Formats: sequence, C-alpha cells, structure tokens
Amino acid sequence: MKIERKQQITDEIPTSTMADIAFLLIIYFMLTATFTATRGIDFGLPKEDDVPPEIEPEDAVHIKVQPGGVLNVDGRVMQLDDILDYLKPKLERNPKKPVIIETDPQANYGYMVDVLDELRQGPEKIDMEVQNISIPTRREIEAFWY
Amino acid sequence: MKLHATQKFTPVIPTATMADIAFLLIIFFMLTITFEVDKTRVALPQSFIRTEIPKKAAYVTVTNSGLIKVSDGEEMSSPVPGAEDVLSFASAVVASDPQKEFVIKADDDVPYDLVDKVIDALKQAKVEVIYLLSEQESGAG
Repeated sequence: MKIERKQQITDEIPTSTMADIAFLLIIYFMLTATFTATRGIDFGLPKEDDVPPEIEPEDAVHIKVQPGGVLNVDGRVMQLDDILDYLKPKLERNPKKPVIIETDPQANYGYMVDVLDELRQGPEKIDMEVQNISIPTRREIEAFWY
Repeated sequence: MKLHATQKFTPVIPTATMADIAFLLIIFFMLTITFEVDKTRVALPQSFIRTEIPKKAAYVTVTNSGLIKVSDGEEMSSPVPGAEDVLSFASAVVASDPQKEFVIKADDDVPYDLVDKVIDALKQAKVEVIYLLSEQESGAG
C-alpha cells in the first residue's frame, strides 16, 4: 500500500513586495506634499453695505497709512508700536471707539496688514480689544465722506 | 575526530515589520496632506495674529506684477483679467454659498490700490469674512 504523503502547503504573503509598494507610495506623497501657509488675519465685513456707515469721521480714530509705511494717526505721525498706547485712553472712555484704517493707494499692502495686526494685538498689549476696526475702500470713502 | 556541523546563519530582514512601518507613514501623509488650490509663490506679509483658514475657502491671489488669480476652493486657481472680474467671480461663489470664506493671498509689496479694488469687489459681492493670508511674524513686536 502506497501511502501518499500529503504535501503541506504553507500560505505565504510576499511581504517584501508589500514593503516595496508601500515605500513607493510614501515617496509619492513626500514629493507631492508641500508646506503652505494656512493661517491669516481674519476680518468680518459689514453685513449691510448699502447703508451709510454709522461712523462719523470726526468721532473715529483715523489711521492713515502712507507710502513708505509712514503712519499718520489723527493728524500726527506715529510709530506702529505707539498706536495702541495712543488708543488706550480713548478705548477706556469708549470701548467701541471706531478705528478707521485708510491706506494710500501707492502704499504697500503689507503696511496695512501691519497696522491691522497691531490693532488686533490689543488684548495682549493694552488689555483692551479694539472692537470696531473699519477698513473702508476708496469707493466708500469717496461716496460717504467727501 | 569529531566534526562539528557548522550552523549556517542566513541573514533575514523582517520585511513584515517594514511594511507595517511603511503603511503607518502612508496613513500619516494621507491624513496631513491638503489639496492646494493655488500654487502661486508670493512673499506673504507677516503678522502675529493668525487664525486657521477653513478648508475649501475661496482664494484670490494678487501678485506684485498685477496678476490676479481666483479659485472657489474646489478647483485650481485661474487668472482673471482685472479686479473688476473678481466681483462676478465672488458673486457667483456667494450665490451658491453665502457663508463662503475668502482668502486674499497677496505679495507684501503689492500696491494697496489693487488690493483695495479686490476688497471692494468682495464687499460688493456681500462676502462675509475675508482672511488675509500671512506668515508668522517672529521676534519682538
């Protein structure tokens, strides 16, 4: 009687090729991934733009950003770091004091961002938040105030 | 004379664990990768205050050479001839999603006049929130 020896077949997964495929995918993702800036300063726009702004030009603090980055606050030349100190007593009297940032068309956009950034640091620097920041466009300035 | 049977050592690399580590890395990259709708390189302004921009926000890119590109957050950005065209683009986006956030990605030294026109177009389109994309400013304020 011939007894057939059963062949034991062991199942194997070719793990070495799995690793190859996996590393290829990693290299693909590493090459396509890029580090991008995903944060910025947010500002909400007024909901109604067909209603003239309630801000009277005389009551608000005017920050004019001029070419070269020179800042003119209520008619006085001022450094960026001094704006919040100037605003502090005004905000203590009126926490909702409007602050208007008006930027010269030839000034760099970055200077406006610097001013907005400085105003938004109110809670850290002077323990007070500048609640009412307005960035009117040229069209709004010409339509409502001149 | 006793002959010692020499033991043969065959080096083995545990490829099973290699695959595990590799798959973990893949999962990491798949979760952290984000689809960038605008790949224009700009020199962003710097700011201390920065908040996370929601995914799928619409982008308006302005370069210092005057190039304006727009994206609704779903497709890659495409150039538009001028700031006036941003109004029609933004109106279309706001019509489908009134709460859509818009991001202005502009070079630090773009003349403000151009950004002003873009912001004006977004205001007229009744955009609710604008983000000004920036890099983290470091050092003393």
